[in-house]
Amino acid sequence: MAEQVPTKRQKREEYRRGIQAQQETEDGSVVKMPQKKFFRQRAHANPFSDHNLNYPISPAHMDWSSHYPAYVDPDTLKTNLAGARQLTKNVEVVDIGCGFGGLLVGLAPLLPDTLMVGMEIRTQVLEYLTSRIHALRTQQQNLKNKAAKPTSTEAPESTEQPTEMDTSDDKAPVPATDDDIGTTKIFPGNFENITAIRANTMKFLPNFFGRHQLSKIFVCFPDPHFKARKHKARIISESLNAEYAYALRPGGLLYTITDVEEYHHWVLRHFQRQPEDAEKTEGEAVHAPGIKDIWERVSDEDLAADPCVRVMQFETEESKKVTRNNGKKFVAVFRRLADPEWSSS
Amino acid sequence: MPSLQHPFQCLRYVARESAGQSDLLIATAGAKVYSYSASTGECLDVFPSAYELAVSDDLKSPPGKRRKLSSPEQKDEQSESADKGSKEEVKLTWSNIPLLIVAKSKYVIFLTAEDKCVRVYSLSGNGQFVKESVRTMPKRPSVLALTPDENDILCADKFGDVYIIPVIPSSEYKRTVAEEKEYTPSATNLTVHTRRNLESLEQQKRQAALKKKASVETTALNFEHQAIIGHVSMLTDMVSVTRPADSSISHPRSYILTADRDEHIRVSRGHPQAHVIEQYCFGHTSFISKLCIPSWAPDVLVSGGGDKHLLVWNWVGGQVLQKVSLSESETDISVSGIWAVSINDTNNIFVAIEGSSQLLCYTLENDNTLKQQETLQLSGNVIDLVSISSKGSIVVSLDNLREPNSTSVWRSSPQALLETFRVEYGKWIPTEDSVVSKINDKDSTIVEAELDEKTTKSLNEQLYGLSVLRKNPAWD
Repeated sequence: MAEQVPTKRQKREEYRRGIQAQQETEDGSVVKMPQKKFFRQRAHANPFSDHNLNYPISPAHMDWSSHYPAYVDPDTLKTNLAGARQLTKNVEVVDIGCGFGGLLVGLAPLLPDTLMVGMEIRTQVLEYLTSRIHALRTQQQNLKNKAAKPTSTEAPESTEQPTEMDTSDDKAPVPATDDDIGTTKIFPGNFENITAIRANTMKFLPNFFGRHQLSKIFVCFPDPHFKARKHKARIISESLNAEYAYALRPGGLLYTITDVEEYHHWVLRHFQRQPEDAEKTEGEAVHAPGIKDIWERVSDEDLAADPCVRVMQFETEESKKVTRNNGKKFVAVFRRLADPEWSSS
Repeated sequence: MPSLQHPFQCLRYVARESAGQSDLLIATAGAKVYSYSASTGECLDVFPSAYELAVSDDLKSPPGKRRKLSSPEQKDEQSESADKGSKEEVKLTWSNIPLLIVAKSKYVIFLTAEDKCVRVYSLSGNGQFVKESVRTMPKRPSVLALTPDENDILCADKFGDVYIIPVIPSSEYKRTVAEEKEYTPSATNLTVHTRRNLESLEQQKRQAALKKKASVETTALNFEHQAIIGHVSMLTDMVSVTRPADSSISHPRSYILTADRDEHIRVSRGHPQAHVIEQYCFGHTSFISKLCIPSWAPDVLVSGGGDKHLLVWNWVGGQVLQKVSLSESETDISVSGIWAVSINDTNNIFVAIEGSSQLLCYTLENDNTLKQQETLQLSGNVIDLVSISSKGSIVVSLDNLREPNSTSVWRSSPQALLETFRVEYGKWIPTEDSVVSKINDKDSTIVEAELDEKTTKSLNEQLYGLSVLRKNPAWD
């Protein structure tokens, strides 16, 4: 009875099979971008449950080679503890809760030589982003091939020249509609420097990245978990900030943006000492040492000069939605300072 | 029907000779804590004492139905009057005491499980318990440890947090009362958009207008405490250790190692710098249940859990030094205990597997690897172990209720609670000890004669709870 009209689920499955098939053929013909509507998923996941996650035993067991094929070390003898080929450089930038990947796609040409990874707990959203990155890379490859063919006398390197980029509008490094990105221009880095993996970073971030490995961590429009009972599930907390400090190198930056004002204050409260903290010790202005000593808020002038902030404010899917709804955006960026001297006790 | 006794769940040996007092053996069984003289085996005191039960409100379960176990600080007039008539039928708010540590050879610190209370009693000269403090933790603690100076308790819980609380709370502590703020929903119509979310936002706003006052935070603790470490996982063990100064470090450095259900061993600095994570020790593929750093080799860590092997670590560098196979069979095993024992120049690591009557024995060699020695066979499942260096022996507590190598089949007749071994030329041999015999002879907590299925099941789970930590691979 109900079989006559395909259900939403059936349509989705069919569509995704098509995308899968497209990826497998790779015949170099026109590559279609995946459509978000077939990959939407409830915006919440329980970070405390086990799920069925794949994560490496340690950072030295992580196989990045399939994620960044352009950066695999040509020396086949260089392998990690899990026997996977090593890369010529380490992953340095992480987008925690990357969603549909707007930030990564926006950042990819800005930091063309930096390896970046998006981490997302929702499988369907991740599947979309993986297809999107694959399509972007294929399109770039096609463009490069096309550019190389008619003027075969030219050196192939010149096709990668970013002159087109520089002339483009300064406010929008990437075209407005996602589907157009990468179809007409060659971008620096060719999106070979971004990837996405499924992970619960609240539990397993240290399984992927070693001590002081990262230079930037992005937390964009995190699940606000409005109920006080659910605040433990928030991605920003003093104990998680200790883990972020472990993964970030001194001088590294942690970017946050949210449209929920209360969450913004929560973020500030968990990274910085508040005036009320001092009152607790009654008169004494001395603070007990804590995680907040390791973080310093980046000034507004510094933020204005940071192109990553602009991408975070205008390129991510959530930020576009907030703009559409006339919502506010609250940005806070923190610099990781050096660890304190060992106490001599 | 013979009366059954609860096995000793935790054993601690308190050496007090330097203070001119006799040594003690402290043990928990069922809902009670016992203090035995280590020279005679005489039972010196029992917690909770009959006197305490009569006067103290916080030991008794409240009458009638209450939705939550109330904190013991809250006096309830009703229960006081109601209990007067039925003094013999006192029911405690807890049924077992899974954690026990001793600070400065003077303070006995233990956890009563169901009411989440960390209780501190000091030991008097003649081995009796003197009440110091009772503190209710926000979540059920899973590990208790001490800071190097033994002035503070480190308390790790099932929610992944480590709190530091003083052994003896200072009397000056004043609860900081958060200013009552007007409650306003943190969502706005700029952040939520769906019809249902907007409806509930409207509802919240109406509620806020009605209430005016925000509800006082219920989780606030009314004693001095500080959260110093947090995992997003259940904490299963914790060790506090100090590395002595040597060629590489000019001052001694203290560390806290925490292990969780998600295969992590985290190395943090000691308090007050516990927010600095120095290292992770990666290598386990199942939950971790036990960490052990021998006092004579503070750079070596032995860890075990749901894997079929132990790992020996250089924990400062996060390197696995050795993988020690425990089992070749298909069935899952869980390490329930790892103890480092140093007696008469023999340095041993003992390992117990949950629900097994064998005690595995290793020596820690000079190259920091474990070498297997002859396994000790006991008459019941191994539960806890203490070493008594003055006698050159170890005392092992056994499951006297269940058949050896079973976690659920009960014996028809009770067995010994404790067994003793002494080392001779590097070999451990069973031995008779008059003190232990005396403790074995004496009935400790007597299990109710009639055991229904539910009671036996919960008793089994109290003693053998590690299997629930294992992840179910099929679930997503």
